[in-house]
Amino acid sequence: MSTPISSTAHRTRTSTSHRLRVMGGIAVSILFLFPIYWMVLTSFKQQVDIFTTPPKFLFIPTLETYIEYMQRADITRRLVNTIIVATGSGLLSIVVGAMAGYALARIRIRGAATFGLLILLSRGVPPIALAVPMFLVARKLGLTDKHITLILAYSTFLIPYVMWLMRSFFLSLPRELEESAMIDGCSRYGALFKIIIPISLPGLLSTLIFSMILAWEELLFALVLTNRHASTIPVAIAGIAGDTVNGANWGALTAVGTITVVPVVIFALLVQKWLITGLAEGATKG
Amino acid sequence: MSTVQIRDARKSYGAVEVLHGVSLDIEDGEFVALVGPSGCGKSTLLRMIAGLEDITGGDILIGDRVVNHIAPKDRDIAMVFQNYALYPHKNVRDNMGFALRQRRIRKAEIEQRVNNTAQILGLENLLDRKPRQLSGGQRQRVAMGRAIVRDPNVFLFDEPLSNLDAKLRVQMRSEIKELHQRLKTTTIYVTHDQIEAMTLADRVVVMNGGVVEQEGSPLDLYDNPASLFVAAFIGSPPMNFLEGDLVGGTNLVLADSTALPLPIGDPKGRSRVTVGIRPEHFTIADSGWPATVSVVEPTGSETQITARLAGHIVRILIRGRTATKPGETIHLAIAPEYVHLFDAAPVPQLAELEDVA
Repeated sequence: MSTPISSTAHRTRTSTSHRLRVMGGIAVSILFLFPIYWMVLTSFKQQVDIFTTPPKFLFIPTLETYIEYMQRADITRRLVNTIIVATGSGLLSIVVGAMAGYALARIRIRGAATFGLLILLSRGVPPIALAVPMFLVARKLGLTDKHITLILAYSTFLIPYVMWLMRSFFLSLPRELEESAMIDGCSRYGALFKIIIPISLPGLLSTLIFSMILAWEELLFALVLTNRHASTIPVAIAGIAGDTVNGANWGALTAVGTITVVPVVIFALLVQKWLITGLAEGATKG
Repeated sequence: MSTVQIRDARKSYGAVEVLHGVSLDIEDGEFVALVGPSGCGKSTLLRMIAGLEDITGGDILIGDRVVNHIAPKDRDIAMVFQNYALYPHKNVRDNMGFALRQRRIRKAEIEQRVNNTAQILGLENLLDRKPRQLSGGQRQRVAMGRAIVRDPNVFLFDEPLSNLDAKLRVQMRSEIKELHQRLKTTTIYVTHDQIEAMTLADRVVVMNGGVVEQEGSPLDLYDNPASLFVAAFIGSPPMNFLEGDLVGGTNLVLADSTALPLPIGDPKGRSRVTVGIRPEHFTIADSGWPATVSVVEPTGSETQITARLAGHIVRILIRGRTATKPGETIHLAIAPEYVHLFDAAPVPQLAELEDVA
C-alpha cells in the first residue's frame, strides 16, 4: 500500500493480530510446560514441602534426592542403557527407514504402494498386543535383557515412522536431480549418496532426533523385554511410581524424571536450527 | 561428437504403447528439434536416448554403439532439463565440475575447463554462488555450462527455455544457436514451441501421437507440409483452412454452398478436400474471394487482418500498412503455388500451443 494512512492502518491490524498470536502462544506454552515446571520444582523440595496445601512455590531447595539417586548404580546404568538404546535404534531406523522411504518414493515396483501401506498399518496394532509375542521370540533367541533386543524392538515401530516421513521428503525433491546425477556419471546409489542424502540432511537429522526421543521415553517394551542388565530410565521411573511397599516417592520420581528430560532438552536446543529447517523443508519444495 | 540413430523405437507403459516405432538418423554435428503437442512422445524419446527410460522395442545407437542397455552415465551425453536440476547444495563451480570429478579427471584440468566454460557463458563472477542465489536466466546458463563443460558426444535439451519469461527466452534462444555454431556438437532439442524449433534447428521432426508426422528443414516443413497436422502446427499466425467439395475441378464449394474458385485443381483428383492457405499468401486484389474485414491489427512492419469469409474466420497478413477498415469488403487472391490441399478432415485444435508461442 502506497499511502501513509493505509500503511499505518495495515501495520496496526498486523500488530493486533500479532499480539493475539503471541498471547495464544504463551497460553499454549503454559498449558504444556506447567507440568514440567512442577516436576522440576518438586524435585528440589524436601519431603515435607511436597504435600502442603496450598502448594508451596517458595521453599528452601535441596539437592538431597538428586545426590541420593545419581549415586545409585541402577539409575546411572539405566541412563547409560537409555543412551545406547535410543542412539542405536535411532541410527538403525534412519538408515533402514530412509532407504526404504527412498525406494517407495522413487522406484516403480508393482505393489510398492500396497507394501508401504501394510507397513504403515502394522503401526495400528496396539504395542501391548505385540509385547508378549516379542518377549517369547526374544527368549527363544536368547535375546532377553540385552541392548540389541530393545534396539530391534524399537526399530519395528521407528522404521515405518522414518520411512513415511522420509518418503514424503524425497517426493518433494525433483526427480531430475538424480537423473541429472546419473547422466553426470553416478549410479543410482551414487546419485542417492552424493546428491539426495546431502540435500536431505536437515530432514534426516530432524527425523533422527524425533526417533531418538521416541525411543528414549519408551516404557512398555523396555519393561517386558529387559530385566536388570539392559533396562532403561522409564522403567526406573515406573518402578518408583509403582512402589507398592513404601508408596510413591514423589521426590525421587520427579528428580529421576528431571534427569530423564534434561538430556533431551539440551539435545533439542543444540540441534534446534536443524530441527526447524528440517520440518520446514519437508513441507515445501526442496 | 557423434551420430545418433533411432531404429523403430517403441515404448510401452504396461499395455499402453506411447511410441509406435520411431526411426530417425541424426548426423554428426546436426541440430535436430523434436516438436509436437504435449503427450506426443517427444520427451519420452529424448529420455530413451538419455537412458532414463528403457526401450521397449527397436534400437538406439550413439555412434556405432547400440546403447539400449547402457547406463546413462556410460553414454557420454549431457542433458539440460526444463527445471535445470542444479544440485542445490553445490555452488556453480561444483555443479559444473561434478561430472568431471565423477570421471576422476585431474583437479587442475577440471578447474581450467570450468573456468573456460564459465567464460563462454559469462558466469565467471557467479562461480561461488549457490543455485538459489541465481536468477532464472543465470540458472539456465549454469545448466548449459554443466552440459558444455563435459564436451559430450550429444547434447540433449528437454524444453530448456520453458521456465523463462518471453524476453529472456528469445535471448537464450539465440545464445543456444550461437553456442551450437561454435561447438558443433550433435544436439537433440525437445520443445512444444514451433517457433523455437524452427529458429534453432537444422532439421525439425514433428511428432504427433507417438509417431513422426514429418521431418525436414524448417522452411521445407513450412512450405510443404505433408499433413493437415503439420500445416496447422507450423507457422504463426497459423494457416487458414477451408473444407469443401471440389466441383468442376477448381471450384471449392463450402458447406453453405458458397463457391470459391481455386487457381489450381487437385492433382490427386479428390472430390472433397481441406484447403490450406498461409495468412501472408493472400493478396488483397480487385477480384477474388470476397471477405468482410472484422479486425485490423497494424504492427508497423506488417498488418494482420481478421476477416469473415462465408462464415469462416480467415487471417491475412500483409507487409507494410493498409487503409482497409473494419466492415469493408475485400477481395482475396492466391497464387497457385501457395494453395495446399489435404484430405478433408477436421483441423487439429492447437490453440494451447499458440498461447505458448
